[in-house]
Amino acid sequence: MPLLLIGALRGLRRPLRLPLAASTVAAGFPSPADDYIDVGIDLNEALIRHPSSTFFLRVSGDSMIDAGIQHGDLLVVDRSLEARPGQIVVAVLDGAFTLKRLVRHRGRLRLEAANSAYPPLELHQCGDVQIWGVAIHVIHSLGRHG
Amino acid sequence: MADVLALIDANNFYASCEQALEPSLIGRPVVVLSNNDGCVVSRSSEARQLGIAMGKPYFQIAEQLARHGVVVRSSNYALYGDMSQRLMSSLEPFVAELEVYSIDEAFARLPRPRHGDLSRWAAELRGRIRHNLGLPIAIGLAPSKVLAKLANRIAKADRRHAGVFDLNAAPHPDPWLEQTPVEEIWGVGRQLSRWCRLRGIANARQLRDMASGELRAKAGVVGLRLQLELQGVSCLPLEEGPAAKRETCVSRSFSRAICVDDELRQAVASYVVRAAEKLRQQRQLCGRISVFARTSPFAPNFYSQAASAVLPVASHDTAVLLQAALPLVALIYKPHKRFAKAGVLLQELQPETQLQHHLLAPLPTEQQHKREALMQSIDQLNRRYGRGTVQWAACGMTPSWMMRREQLSRAATTRLGDLPIVWAR
Repeated sequence: MPLLLIGALRGLRRPLRLPLAASTVAAGFPSPADDYIDVGIDLNEALIRHPSSTFFLRVSGDSMIDAGIQHGDLLVVDRSLEARPGQIVVAVLDGAFTLKRLVRHRGRLRLEAANSAYPPLELHQCGDVQIWGVAIHVIHSLGRHG
Repeated sequence: MADVLALIDANNFYASCEQALEPSLIGRPVVVLSNNDGCVVSRSSEARQLGIAMGKPYFQIAEQLARHGVVVRSSNYALYGDMSQRLMSSLEPFVAELEVYSIDEAFARLPRPRHGDLSRWAAELRGRIRHNLGLPIAIGLAPSKVLAKLANRIAKADRRHAGVFDLNAAPHPDPWLEQTPVEEIWGVGRQLSRWCRLRGIANARQLRDMASGELRAKAGVVGLRLQLELQGVSCLPLEEGPAAKRETCVSRSFSRAICVDDELRQAVASYVVRAAEKLRQQRQLCGRISVFARTSPFAPNFYSQAASAVLPVASHDTAVLLQAALPLVALIYKPHKRFAKAGVLLQELQPETQLQHHLLAPLPTEQQHKREALMQSIDQLNRRYGRGTVQWAACGMTPSWMMRREQLSRAATTRLGDLPIVWAR
């Protein structure tokens, strides 16, 4: 259900505040569950280490399908990371964001799709390629339920 | 060794934000227009190089912009606000103290290292912000705020400085101060600069060295402090964290003049809705609400009027504020006047927590809680699905007076439906 993800975005800089304790009235007995109540799970905190440099992008196309990234998925990209070979990166190619895997091949860097229908791009052959950020998570919604 | 003050700001902030989230704009000339697509308020360095002037009305230069292939954008405050927060929180770990001064600039305090050289630190910070956010920044370093501001100006003026200028490290600071006209000094207003010019004081070096008694007689302690700051004595402390807001204002110019009272009422209603939302975000209540409207100051028979009402009990409930504000519209409205702008001012703000159980509370506690839950849900829906998802009927359905923002980019960092596309092809 996509609702969960919307909450994650909104809370980027303002962590979700959930109650620490269930009983707030001093009179009477405290709830026996109080000692066991945790703050709950905040997906932002769990998935994002650098909130100020993390951006969300929407995936369009099927060239990364073998890496588990499908059309319509939500991509979480951290711009503060240095791209290393093996990582999936967002590159700026001909004025558009393009999703590829950065690969070292015979001593040279290239950008590969994760779908055999798409040829690799040799970095030294294309003029102006900029690595914009490193993809750290993909959020795939399993259709609508409920 | 003594602390250093830095003024750190983003170059061409609005245009840079547009370029940061839209890769097709990288390296292309971009300008951003003010409210109602009025004037150029930000130019990318590419647009600057084309000689496009700041502050020029859009309609005057639309053709020139088109001829040069300049990309034109309306002000996208959702994007700039979000990028500003990202910028400020990225700066914080690099400095000892940070004072956010405006949407795109901050003062910072940091200890000077023993060897005295901060150029490596500054270059690394610039590189980091450029890499992580795609924003170019400039850094001015000096012993005081006024000098830091001046150093920042020098850092930006000359490409050779690569966006960093340390006035402390300059062997001869005087020529730099002499390069700075008195009008450009932070804290020198129009009146003081005219006074200086009349006395032959044309630049920052001359103001620094003038007789302080004379300056004091003219500008009092404020003037003396300014002079001390120019001498490198820090007198203006950093203000960390914004002070609690005492007033909240929402006002806009209309895309066309409004003559009908119904339309003015709708406009005021929509500003009340927005102001109440802000108030709830700030966790404050207001005790007084004012409504104002005016015609264009450039047209004959200028008319401007305001009216205010005191709330029986301080509130941040949209319905309560609407009830108080809408009758005021009838008081300020005048037939045959062509209204160009209106606004709402919420005053006598107090923290939410101050009002507990008031004898005069208009609603029983339980109902009060229900109202608050309702407001929360409305705010949540509007944040989640975009402003105006849940609308108050008083605002009208499709207002034609709304601010013109015809070339608005998407809320690329704050709204799920507006995320940039990354191509997998």
